[in-house]
Amino acid sequence: MDTNMIFGRYYAADSPVHRMDARVKLTLLLVFIAAAIFTQTPEGLVILIAFTVAFYIFARIPVRTALSSVAPLLLIVLLTAFANLFFVQQGAVYFHWAFITITERGCYLAVFMGIRLTILLFAACLLTLTTTTLDITDAFETMLKPFTRIGVPAHELSMIMGIALRFLPQFAEELAYTRNAQTSRGARLSEGSLKERVAALKALIIPLFTSVFRHAETLAGAMDARCYHGGPGRTRLNTPKVQARDFVAMAIMAVLVAAVVATNILL
Amino acid sequence: MQLVFSNVSYSYVNRNQAKAAKSRRKAKEAQNETEVAAWGNNPDQMWALRGANFTLNKGEFLGICGHTGSGKSTLIQHMNGLLHPTKGAVLLDGHNLAEKGSQEYCRKVGVVFQYPEHQLFAPTVYDDVAFGPRNMGLTDDEVNQRVKESLAQVGLDPETFNTDASPFELSGGQQRRVAFAGVLAMKPEILVLDEPAAGLDPASRANFLNLIADLHASGLTVVMVSHSMDDLARLCDRLLVLNKGRTIYQGTPAEVFSHPAELKKIGLDIPAAQRVANALKAQGVALPKELYATSTELAQDIATLYAAKHEEVEGGAR
Amino acid sequence: MIEFNEAGFTYDGSHFVLDDVTLSVPKGQFLCILGSNGSGKSTLAKHINALLTPDRGTVSVMGNDTSNPEALFLVRSNAGMVFQNPDDQLVATIVENDVAFGPENLGLPADELRKRVTEALATVGLQGYEARETNALSGGQKQRVAIAGVLAMRPQILILDEASAMIDPRGRAGLIRVVKELHEAGLTIIMVTHFMEEAALADRVILMKEGHIVADGEPADILTNAQLMTSMNLEVPFTTQLAADLQNAGVPVTSNLSETDLQEELCNLFSAM
Repeated sequence: MDTNMIFGRYYAADSPVHRMDARVKLTLLLVFIAAAIFTQTPEGLVILIAFTVAFYIFARIPVRTALSSVAPLLLIVLLTAFANLFFVQQGAVYFHWAFITITERGCYLAVFMGIRLTILLFAACLLTLTTTTLDITDAFETMLKPFTRIGVPAHELSMIMGIALRFLPQFAEELAYTRNAQTSRGARLSEGSLKERVAALKALIIPLFTSVFRHAETLAGAMDARCYHGGPGRTRLNTPKVQARDFVAMAIMAVLVAAVVATNILL
Repeated sequence: MQLVFSNVSYSYVNRNQAKAAKSRRKAKEAQNETEVAAWGNNPDQMWALRGANFTLNKGEFLGICGHTGSGKSTLIQHMNGLLHPTKGAVLLDGHNLAEKGSQEYCRKVGVVFQYPEHQLFAPTVYDDVAFGPRNMGLTDDEVNQRVKESLAQVGLDPETFNTDASPFELSGGQQRRVAFAGVLAMKPEILVLDEPAAGLDPASRANFLNLIADLHASGLTVVMVSHSMDDLARLCDRLLVLNKGRTIYQGTPAEVFSHPAELKKIGLDIPAAQRVANALKAQGVALPKELYATSTELAQDIATLYAAKHEEVEGGAR
Repeated sequence: MIEFNEAGFTYDGSHFVLDDVTLSVPKGQFLCILGSNGSGKSTLAKHINALLTPDRGTVSVMGNDTSNPEALFLVRSNAGMVFQNPDDQLVATIVENDVAFGPENLGLPADELRKRVTEALATVGLQGYEARETNALSGGQKQRVAIAGVLAMRPQILILDEASAMIDPRGRAGLIRVVKELHEAGLTIIMVTHFMEEAALADRVILMKEGHIVADGEPADILTNAQLMTSMNLEVPFTTQLAADLQNAGVPVTSNLSETDLQEELCNLFSAM
């Protein structure tokens, strides 16, 4: 399987952004998303783009890696753009044929929304490119911690997320393997009648499920053997600490928010 | 029936890198056309298989060895058209397996992948073995016939063995036999086995290898990938040694194992009996055979030499 | 160090997978458990780190009864276990986080964790692999990471449950080298295996059949007993087989476990005449 195609796969490098506290990164991403949604003007978009590019440069992510991690998701951007193009009916009509009407406002929104969504994808990818899945799940856990009082199992959720991420590539590999084996036995997954396809799909899915259960059983044993007993009393190898660079990043983000607000009010 | 690999190379291209490098390369190529090598001209291509060239004849037993990542699994996936060569061609009876409509030919090659029992899925043993024949569009009678035959072939007598049992309730060794039968039920002319004895205990291991030897004796052409040099030396007519995608040796086991030092360099061993034989030969003991695959063979020849020498010494003393 | 006292274990309440096993393993011993599939060898191994506890009799590890829930972590952190499938036992996506998993569960402070990770990876010959992704490693490397994960808990006992069964010969050689070094460093090793060349390295070998220990002794005595090994559906080591074949054919050889010894003996036999 081509693992490069996975959305925002971790890109190992040593940069200020990589070394930032994952909790701060996650929070700032949320702030950034809010700011992006709030942006109403093209100038606002330009500011967002400038900040995104700047952060990518700080993170020392090669252009190629950045583009290839977002590329698989561009379909979503296109869909959003087209939806705006065809469904927004406002302003001067540029084109009309049968039931298709393209208007000035539709064109504007298609471009605007497309760019905004692309920026959001790049921002989200920056988090996953510069943060290991483990740090993300840990950040997720600490940020959920206040909610444990109302019954949210923060540690368990993040453990589940972490293990799922750990096994995802492996199951993808096993699935490819099973597909080869069943194709060799004449299974046709992409042709034939519905009944044949369902049969072929079963031949693919059932081995995957048995493999999941097999792995789950031994993994549980292996975790027990290493004294796993849930969250309480557990320490972490990399205890995140909010450092100077995190405050700098927060300050930059504050500037961004201020700028976006300014564009919305002034322009 | 003959399977020909004609200069087969296969590459997994890293698409992203390739794209980015394309423009760079174009400029360079324009500068110096002659710099482009005959193959491997794309620096971003990872060649999993390079120039594989061999003919598998009817009734042959071909062994393939090499380390993880040497190109073994890429090679066997070419044998039934799961992968198509980037360069060169795989021909079954002169028919190119990469061409459209070659499924019928591909089916003549049955591949048993590593840990085949992990691919079991049907509610009963019968249904699992019948999966292949049913996919071939055979009638129920024919399917029934084939299921019984193939189960018998793998030593699970359909008279006494409960074919309505769930395959998941069987022992590991039995599960593997059922998975094996599932491939045999398609009546392949060539049987390709990837590490057929991996993970089995010694008793089941020996049984399994005997089963494979029997299938070969009954006329099947067999290709076996294995890490066990002893098994390969004992069973194969011919061996192919792969390293980093290249075929480094090709020949009879005796020929291949006559390069112990070179094999060791790429981390491969030679059969244990041959190791001892080589040590004795180096001391001037004139063992007659080129290759010793089993301890029995070696012990016989040592004993003969020993007796002869003993007699000589005794005679001299008298 | 490890004491089994008439221990029995059953999954279904009637069939005892482990039946009346009494066994004592002293500190620093390298013990190898052999037996065909279903002989109870893995079940026995899983009792040593309290993954399973006996239904009859007792098992104690370093003086702690494994059935005592209060001693559970003490037992498990002192008797680390490495399993067969390298893909089933790594918890984290990054090597250092996986190695730290055990000690993290023990609640050690971060600087101690870091120290142990570095140390454990160095011991298994994977220094500098901290930031690697576990998925990208070879089978042999994954098993060494698994061993490092156990070593980071600073155990007294290392249990390997067919840990080399699914990796290729090169990976296996690396794994065995590490195990030998650990044994020399004083660790008690319990190894379940099918490979005779691994068993030959042990101080002591026990053979299991249907939940019982049927033979117990030095590899030189057990592995070379061709009749016993064959009757247990086990593989006779090559050197033993060759020596037996030679003796049957009238060649007077005595070495029957070490291949180099037998080679030397044969060479001497021919040159002496």
